Amino acid sequence: MPPKRKAQAAPDAEGWESQEEEALSDQETFDKLRDTFDVVAMSKRARASRAVDAASFLFRKCDQWDAPLKADHLNRPLWVDDAGRIILESFSPIFDEAQDFLINIAEPQSRVSRMHEYSLTTHSLFAAVSVGHSSKEIIDRLEKYSKIALSPSVIAFVEKSTSSFGKAKIVLKKTLSYIESDDPSILRKLLKDATIAECKATSSDGLIKEAAPKIGMMAIPGTKMAAGANQVAAQAAAETQAPETMITTLREEDDDEEVAQVHSFQIKSEEREKVIKRCQDMGLPLTEEYDFNNDEANAKLDIDLRPHAQIRYYQEKALSKMFSNSRARSGIIVLPCGAGKTLVGITAACGVKKSVIVLCTSAMSVVQWRAEFIKWSNINPEDIAVFTSESKNRFPRDAGIIISTYTMITSTRNRSYDSEKVMDFIRSREWGLLIADEVHVVPANIFKKVTYSIASHSKLGLTATLLREDDKIEDLNFLIGPKLYEANWQELSEQGHIAKVQCAEVWCQMTPEFYSEWLKPSSVQKRALLSIMNPRKFQACQFLIDYHERRGDKIIVFSDNVYALEKYARKLNKAYIYGDTPQAERLRILENFQHNDMVNTVFLSKIGDTSLDLPEATCLIQISSHYGSRRQEAQRLGRILRAKRRNDEGFNAFFYSLVSKDTDEMYYSSKRQAFLVDQGYAFKVITRLEGIDLRSDLAFYTPQDRRELLMDVLLAKDTDATEERIAGDMFGSRFATTGGKGRKKTGAKRTAGTLSDLSGGQDMAYIEYNKSRNKELKKKGIQNGFLRKLNRGSANAKKASGI
Amino acid sequence: MVKAVRGTLVKCDASIKAMLVDIDSSLRNEFIIEELDEEHVLVKETKIAELKQRLQTMLKERLKEPDTSDSET
Repeated sequence: MPPKRKAQAAPDAEGWESQEEEALSDQETFDKLRDTFDVVAMSKRARASRAVDAASFLFRKCDQWDAPLKADHLNRPLWVDDAGRIILESFSPIFDEAQDFLINIAEPQSRVSRMHEYSLTTHSLFAAVSVGHSSKEIIDRLEKYSKIALSPSVIAFVEKSTSSFGKAKIVLKKTLSYIESDDPSILRKLLKDATIAECKATSSDGLIKEAAPKIGMMAIPGTKMAAGANQVAAQAAAETQAPETMITTLREEDDDEEVAQVHSFQIKSEEREKVIKRCQDMGLPLTEEYDFNNDEANAKLDIDLRPHAQIRYYQEKALSKMFSNSRARSGIIVLPCGAGKTLVGITAACGVKKSVIVLCTSAMSVVQWRAEFIKWSNINPEDIAVFTSESKNRFPRDAGIIISTYTMITSTRNRSYDSEKVMDFIRSREWGLLIADEVHVVPANIFKKVTYSIASHSKLGLTATLLREDDKIEDLNFLIGPKLYEANWQELSEQGHIAKVQCAEVWCQMTPEFYSEWLKPSSVQKRALLSIMNPRKFQACQFLIDYHERRGDKIIVFSDNVYALEKYARKLNKAYIYGDTPQAERLRILENFQHNDMVNTVFLSKIGDTSLDLPEATCLIQISSHYGSRRQEAQRLGRILRAKRRNDEGFNAFFYSLVSKDTDEMYYSSKRQAFLVDQGYAFKVITRLEGIDLRSDLAFYTPQDRRELLMDVLLAKDTDATEERIAGDMFGSRFATTGGKGRKKTGAKRTAGTLSDLSGGQDMAYIEYNKSRNKELKKKGIQNGFLRKLNRGSANAKKASGI
Repeated sequence: MVKAVRGTLVKCDASIKAMLVDIDSSLRNEFIIEELDEEHVLVKETKIAELKQRLQTMLKERLKEPDTSDSET
């Protein structure tokens, strides 16, 4: 059998077993398949095996080569293919209209300048229905915008996904989970499924039957909040329409429910997301909505936005999706860093007006969240409790807010008496809303624990980068809910909500000595270290720092590798912060970075990726990174998006990624950029920095210096080259103490030595090379009160005479 | 007695040169006649084809090719 034919037959055999015996000759099989597929024409495989031309390999997923264009296709902005992928032309005159619609029904995949790509998923369609789109409306509008006729498979998909909406819901009563439905037959159907039956709580036999709660005339909520927000925010056109649709959907629902009785059965709380997943598979997705206005069981929390809080239009859009039909829907809101995620969370809390629990990644952001709550809302500061390793408060009244970290909640170690008491308190009550900050970092198993121990009616996930390298992101769909809203980065930066950024990738040649070492077989860490410590890269870094410092930029340099971080920072005499830097020193350095003109550059390790808020930084240089992590790249970019000067005319922030040429870094770098490219950022490649050759004052200019550096690097232990672990951070170990604040002071150290050594009798003098800049910043002037006064007096005199 | 060897001048990146030297040293110095500077090497003419071959395989081994498949599918 010729190999070509074999290849041709293989895919057929997989999907179409009946066709196997007919594989007599290439052409015949092929024609036969084509005939079959013209009738069936549904599966992706069918599409793939039909197309045979030079370009067909590009459309493996889905080939629409024979779809007839509509006569007026030029005026229509969309392509919809069989796999549910939608491509939108952003230069079309009705782009805005189409985009508003698509964002409701589909998930954005990639938004570059001229083309946007969306995909239809069950989750997104489900969300669309709950916002008030009917399946007919979705299909009609897609048909209207599409350049080609919608294929029957897409229509079938939309109908199937939307028809089952709202049949059964999952509710929370007295911290226990129930599945509820008007129609007992649906519940019986669910219970017949082995997986769900298993998850059913044993305590309850059969179905629980109770009268549906009386729903009287309910004031249209959600709008109250929206109205409050609208007083200051610009009135969005969409907003005026929203209440009407809300009323109608509400009425419909009321009618249904008033006659029906509600049937329910209890499920084990810990199996909750398993049930949700299973129901989704069965085509009976569970609705998870919280009717907070009619919840009398839980005490109301007195919280409202302060009048000066301005909700931007995209935040409003995101929230209106969450509170669409006056109930709070669980889900995830994706906004770029610096676009006001915290405010979205606070506004959501003000909408629900019940007890709220906020979970963040580190103790530092706990403090920030608390400050933001006090800043933006009129809540009584007493009602905000903080639960970290240092402070374990509870709020005094029936309702309040607790802010904590993921690690505190999920810790499995023995807790102190205080924290155990707080945990019991958290476990024993019902929460109206759970806000999960930076939700992408939370491993699924940890979040499972969180949902198990915290009984919350609705959950809101906030993140900038809803992606993980390990594809665990899908799990969040079941643990929290679907993606409710994702902002368009480019649009926000054009409107000045986030800074405009110029991205560049700087290729640095490896020096021959370093490269020949790199070529030698050695550990991965060593090779990584060699490519990070490449002298050319060092020089490029120095050059860029000099250049941008002269322009008056504030620069952050990121390095994942602490060894390199320290080397770079000491050589260049800059301050640096990494996991082991004491809290007080960190704060001092950051303060100096923000306010001191002499400190324009700071080196940060991984700890700077998420938790630090540095509104001053305008330029970012990355010298080493965590393999191909797209999330890290985006989070780092996020550090400069909130630049304060962003609204200045022609202001640009800069993002440089230094890459050693011909090493693995090149490969990872291209991977890392994928997410940002999808958001419409373009990376320029710089192969040569203009003017770098003319400088002779750069570090490691002479071959002698370079060889010394190489020796240093080769002598470095492998442990130096590994990435740092950060305690209390979700990136590092899972169950560490929170933050660096509570770290124990190191005790006295005992070393053997002679007295003459210490007194200098051994002819030793103390000179420090490569001093840390951190130490310099440490000096806070003279400590003695009198001397300080004296000093101040003379300084003032000097100043006065100078003027 | 003076011995003449026909050579070919190879101009390449510093990193590629490092690879060439690496190949040369692992195979009893059969390829390179003279290392001129960071970017130039003089190589025996007769060995050019083999050297190219070896460099190809080395590049394949050592460097990960940026894969473009996921962006296209």
